[in-house]
Amino acid sequence: MKRLHKSGLRTLQCAAILAAGLVSSSAWAGIYNDGKVLLTGGVFTVDGAGGGGAVPWATISGYETRDGINGSAGFTYVNLPALQVSFYGVNVGLFDRVELSYVDSRLSLNLPNLQTVALVADAAGLDVGTDAWNSTLGMQTYGVKVRLFGDAVYTSDSWIPQVAVGGLYKDNRNVALIHTLGADKTKDYEIYVAATKVLFPISTLVNVTARYTSANEDGLTGFGYCNGGSQTDCHNKRKVRAEVSIAHLVAKNTAIGGEWQQHGSNLDGRSVNVAGLDLSGLTGLLGSAGLGGLSGALTQKKEGDWYDLFMAYAPNKHISFVVAYLMFGNIAVAPAQNGFYFATHLTF
Amino acid sequence: MKRSKISLALATGVTLLVAAAAQPAFAGESKTKPIMGIPSSAVADFGGAYGVHNWVESLFYYIMLDNRINYIFKEFGNVDRQIALNTQLEQMVLGGPNNYQGASMSAAHADLGITMTQFNAVVEAAYNACERNEIKYYACNDLIAALAPFTRVIVTK
Repeated sequence: MKRLHKSGLRTLQCAAILAAGLVSSSAWAGIYNDGKVLLTGGVFTVDGAGGGGAVPWATISGYETRDGINGSAGFTYVNLPALQVSFYGVNVGLFDRVELSYVDSRLSLNLPNLQTVALVADAAGLDVGTDAWNSTLGMQTYGVKVRLFGDAVYTSDSWIPQVAVGGLYKDNRNVALIHTLGADKTKDYEIYVAATKVLFPISTLVNVTARYTSANEDGLTGFGYCNGGSQTDCHNKRKVRAEVSIAHLVAKNTAIGGEWQQHGSNLDGRSVNVAGLDLSGLTGLLGSAGLGGLSGALTQKKEGDWYDLFMAYAPNKHISFVVAYLMFGNIAVAPAQNGFYFATHLTF
Repeated sequence: MKRSKISLALATGVTLLVAAAAQPAFAGESKTKPIMGIPSSAVADFGGAYGVHNWVESLFYYIMLDNRINYIFKEFGNVDRQIALNTQLEQMVLGGPNNYQGASMSAAHADLGITMTQFNAVVEAAYNACERNEIKYYACNDLIAALAPFTRVIVTK
């Protein structure tokens, strides 16, 4: 698993070097392009695709027009009461038509109840993929997006939006912890269709995305679910979920807005599974450890839809910053996760 | 023989008349399809006809500073005439009077091989001109929206 993680980092490094090479090499001078108008390529989503914070848009990331290519790197930090997530990624936009992206994310759980499980499980010699002081869920996301038709910015005389289709492949590293949380799969794909349009008279960009997925918390806690605390009765039913981004431009370099991302209910009301034991076995363990009554705390709450309010600022075409307030509802066994989001997007 | 000549002349005359009737007073650009939501105050928001003219002067100032596009406009020469024509065009697309005397956008740009990057460069100059002339960002977006559909005929490369 560690090796896989290293190879992921190496991919990131290679991509960064490649991107840097593209900028510096004079051979690429003719094909490098940063001709888009400020902010019209969107910023860097947690999935790596160009868009808002969580919702991928139909825009192709980077500042290239159809005359060339452009790349970018993004870093996002999410701070919620029970967990922190870092996202590091790169993407490249080709001729305002195709976008390729890669993101490595690390979600650190900071849950006393899960840590108690870890302590007890450790004492009982069970591997639940978490230890008392470091429960990290790592995930890699590979993405591709193709603009099908339309121009989000310049077709002000019609209602036709820019439309793109994209695919994401997400691969979780901490297989044991994903299964402990009751998910079926640790790796899966998602497909989305996004429609984006800038409505000039109200200086507002509107994006609607439909995503075909079975993800729990964007895939950070796996995909699908398993019944009965084992990996035998598992289901991975993908459904189409809706997502909306609205960004109002108050100036050519500043946008404020909000997002909504519909989430599923795969893990709602499910207990945390400990290495295939159902909770009755665990409550026995907890009882003997003097921790009876914890079973309720180990039942996962109803997964909340994601909402956020954001402000994006792009002082120039090379860097932009996003701060957001997130309302993510319940995540796994942690209730009401509201917190802050900071992202920076470096464009070459 | 003579009669046929006369009838030919007549026919030609009628054709010319019909053609003249079909053309507006100036053979240039006519209004684009109504752009969604451009307010009736758009020209006033720019400071009236005089304000639009000032804005176009600023626009050309910023265009001439941008090496990606300035040579195209310089090649045309007679910047004062370009500014006058652009003032007429901008007033027209913002819902003001149609006094545009220049060539159509497609005819004027057909052979220039304008790229999307260059079109966007003019849009950037337009925003700079709005800032310089203290025209509100939202009013500026009305003009960008009104000119945006011309990408289809201006950008040929």
